[in-house]
Amino acid sequence: MAAADVREMLDLPAEGQPRPHKKQKVVEKRPEGITRELYALLGERAPPIAINENKYKGRPKWMNKLRVRPWRMTPFTNSARSDGLVLHHWQRKHESTKPPAPGESQMEVDETKEEGKEDDQEAAHLKSQEQDYAFAKYNVQARLPRPYTDDEYNRHLKRDDWSREETDYLMELASEYDLRWVIIADRYDYQPPMDTEPDASALVPATQYRNMEQMKARYYQVAAHMLALEHPPSEMSELEFELHEKMLKFDPERERDRKQLAALQLDRTADEVREEAMLLEELKRITSNEQNFVTERRELYSRLEVPISIGNTAMYQSSAGLSQLLQTLLQADKSKKRRSLLGADGVLPSPAGQTPTQGGGETPGVTPASIPHKKGAAAAAREAQQLTVRTLTPAEETRYGVQHHERVQAGVQFRSDRAQKLTQAKSNVQTQKLAAALAELEMPVRLMMPTERVCKDFEKLIHSVNLLLDARKVSEKVESEIRVLEAAKAERERKANEAAGIVPPDPENPEVKTEADDAGAGVTGGDADKGQDDEADGESKDTPAMDPDGAHKRSASELSGVSDKSNKRQRR
Amino acid sequence: MNSSNPPQAAEYGGDEVSAIVLDPGYSTTRAGFAGEDAPKSLIPTYYGKYNANGQEKLIFGDDVFVTPRPGLSVHNPIGKDGIVEDWDLAEKVWEYSFTSRLTGGKPGNPFQNGLNDIPHEELPTEMEVETHEKPLADSPLLMTESGWNPAKAREKTIEVAMENWGSPAYYQARTGVLAAFASGKASALVVDIGASNISITPVHDGMILKRGVQHSPLGGDYISSQIRALFKSNSPQPITITPHYLISSKTAVEAGQPPQAKYKTFPPEKAPDASYRSLLEDRTLSEFKECVVQVWPGPNKLAATGPTGVSNEEMARTTPGRPFEFPDGYNQVFGADRFRVVESLFDAKAALPDPDSPFPAPTQAQTVPELIKASLGGVDVDIRPHLLANVVVTGASSLLYGFTDRLNHELMQLFPGPRVRISAPGNTAERRFASWIGGSILASLGTFHQMWISKKEYEEHGPNIVEKRCK
Repeated sequence: MAAADVREMLDLPAEGQPRPHKKQKVVEKRPEGITRELYALLGERAPPIAINENKYKGRPKWMNKLRVRPWRMTPFTNSARSDGLVLHHWQRKHESTKPPAPGESQMEVDETKEEGKEDDQEAAHLKSQEQDYAFAKYNVQARLPRPYTDDEYNRHLKRDDWSREETDYLMELASEYDLRWVIIADRYDYQPPMDTEPDASALVPATQYRNMEQMKARYYQVAAHMLALEHPPSEMSELEFELHEKMLKFDPERERDRKQLAALQLDRTADEVREEAMLLEELKRITSNEQNFVTERRELYSRLEVPISIGNTAMYQSSAGLSQLLQTLLQADKSKKRRSLLGADGVLPSPAGQTPTQGGGETPGVTPASIPHKKGAAAAAREAQQLTVRTLTPAEETRYGVQHHERVQAGVQFRSDRAQKLTQAKSNVQTQKLAAALAELEMPVRLMMPTERVCKDFEKLIHSVNLLLDARKVSEKVESEIRVLEAAKAERERKANEAAGIVPPDPENPEVKTEADDAGAGVTGGDADKGQDDEADGESKDTPAMDPDGAHKRSASELSGVSDKSNKRQRR
Repeated sequence: MNSSNPPQAAEYGGDEVSAIVLDPGYSTTRAGFAGEDAPKSLIPTYYGKYNANGQEKLIFGDDVFVTPRPGLSVHNPIGKDGIVEDWDLAEKVWEYSFTSRLTGGKPGNPFQNGLNDIPHEELPTEMEVETHEKPLADSPLLMTESGWNPAKAREKTIEVAMENWGSPAYYQARTGVLAAFASGKASALVVDIGASNISITPVHDGMILKRGVQHSPLGGDYISSQIRALFKSNSPQPITITPHYLISSKTAVEAGQPPQAKYKTFPPEKAPDASYRSLLEDRTLSEFKECVVQVWPGPNKLAATGPTGVSNEEMARTTPGRPFEFPDGYNQVFGADRFRVVESLFDAKAALPDPDSPFPAPTQAQTVPELIKASLGGVDVDIRPHLLANVVVTGASSLLYGFTDRLNHELMQLFPGPRVRISAPGNTAERRFASWIGGSILASLGTFHQMWISKKEYEEHGPNIVEKRCK
């Protein structure tokens, strides 16, 4: 059964995130040439330097028997070339041809060899033709528009600022440099054709400088028109149409502006760069602050918001609806990091609960409109709590062993440990005294059967023992003081008797003082208890019907009894 | 994995066709086979010229430094701005760079290499013409060039490669692009601190942006001239650099004491040219740059005041000095001065004045940060942040201690907004040969082989094809 199933059964929320995968343990392979023990000493981290160097393993023996396969300088042609240039490179000689005779030398030029050679070369040529040169396939060309005819040019492409010759020149460059505009713009050097008359040539303005945007604009214009001539826009494929649109929409002005901005950006001074970095940093800070602010505000709003109660409670009639409501309330409660809804006192710690009867006038921060909502919600919550939590009667609780804990600490605890802790007083002497008292009662210091009830009784017992011990301590003290004072009094009386007629001073003053001090010291714990007790009393008064924790109440009342005792002692 | 199985070519895109990568620079010329991680052949671009028995003889490679022959003069076929001036000698130097180590003087048998296979119907008369020796008949050639190489120079280069060297295929790539490739980027801002020039090349998608290419002459040679200026104004006594070939013996002296060495003397008719001495002095200066010179690491200019109120100059003085011993035994500890010789790369006002220097006093616009600013000003604003996040530092002079730190601080000050990230390989070889390595990567890629300009195409279109194909 998976954890998810259990959670579903218990109506627990699903786990927030899946558990991280188990880490794959990476077992590094031990390199060769290093013993296992030494490698273990290295630990997990790999050594920073390579411990073993790669050794040359040599050829395996069986390879020595193989015949060396011959290589030969073979001619080849490249189909990417038009001129049939023959270059030579080394190629593995194919097995079909017989190995060259060892005696073959370059000086030997007899006819048979010549013929053989020619045959070889022809074979090589044939081979190279049938299998194309491997690198010829990389000879790719950019896709360029079809060249225009004179008629097409005159009808569609004529522009005032571009002559036919210059357009030709541009198209030629574009194809020559495969549309690499950076290079085209770099190499662009159009010389307008000189007119025959010298006067006219003087009138022709100096070669105007064309920038890349102008060239691009002209080229795209031409290319778009040619594309449109080839396929009318209605018949274009999607890709072509897109291209056509892009080319038509090219805006040289905008492009030039962009480049100017880029140049500005590039030519910033160091101060400007620094300032920008600073501003960016500032911006980052501000946005993160804003983010924080927004999340805080959202948290605040979510605090103010409570689940909206809808008039009819029909949906809470069923147990499923109720448990869902409880679930949401618990969730909301948890997120608010308040005291638990199901606190020991059972009081709903919502603002509405604290002001159950008064109107909204007392809390000016809260808008009056939200109050009824809240009240309603709180009431609903209380109702839900009563319905769900108080389904068990105290008898049933004891029967089923259901317990309510005021505060449950994290982790596992043993009840006996807690009982054991009581026998440990602050001072060693006190502990010994406690032990002695228990021994007197024939109680083992360690409980034999620490059930719930036994533990509670043991607790009570220890408490009474402590009280008794305190009382004994105080009484011993008082007795010893009385003894001292009596001795002093006897002394004084003796003196008075000796010097008769002197009125004795008030002997009670110091005594009273010391007694009061002692009582204070002995009862400080009791005072604290009393405060707590009062609080508990008050709370129980507030919600007399709702106290589910009998144990707490019992101990509290007992404590109050103790404090009463100590008060009495103080009064005495 | 079975070691006898080849890696699948598609896995790394490589397909080696035994191409040769030639990366000619002002100070050194690098050459090697594509696919390797460093150039096999590294020779100085300087060559020596002398008269022996009335015949003019030339010395190439490291041999230049070795023997002080009578009347030996040292020249460089490449001009101060990195553009070839003397094409005949440049061709010879470059040819030496690969024939000496890579191909050998003799090419493969033209009957065997397959390039001269002619269709059967053609007459074999043309064969005779073709068979005279061409050093590169077997290998495609990838050459590098600076971003500001004029079209004429490019055409001349392909002419040399195709006609004089007989290369079957040719390509020319920009150093900036290749340096970006070497650090694995298709788009980058390449800061190349070379010997004669410093250059800033914005690269986008494997192509340079011509309007953003900037260069100025404040390279390694300029730093050498600054060091010379420092030596002239040295406080106890001016330091003169005597190259090793003029010293026959020396004894150790205390720091700052005059040197005690026996010098070799050459009678005027047997002495080498002054340019030879200057070349060897420069070698000592390079050593000085490697051991002593340091770039003030920032965060501010050396002349500025630090955050604690102490001027950076004072701070520099408190750092422990670095000793250096010259070939004649003179030695001295260099304190704050070692920061000042390179400060003018970042702050033109800090240049040490020297009337004899061949370099005019630098302007602020020539300093590295200003060049980068100007370079970024020339490219589209959209890619500027991306370029700043991919700054590739290359060139041997960028190995100056603390250079990248300072550059980083300067860029952060210039562009406080975007993220600046400098990628400078820590490996010395990768820093020095970045453009060669990039070429090596490029020329061994299978996809690159369609880019070659073949001999056939060259014959069809003429040298102008390089402008069309190598963009």
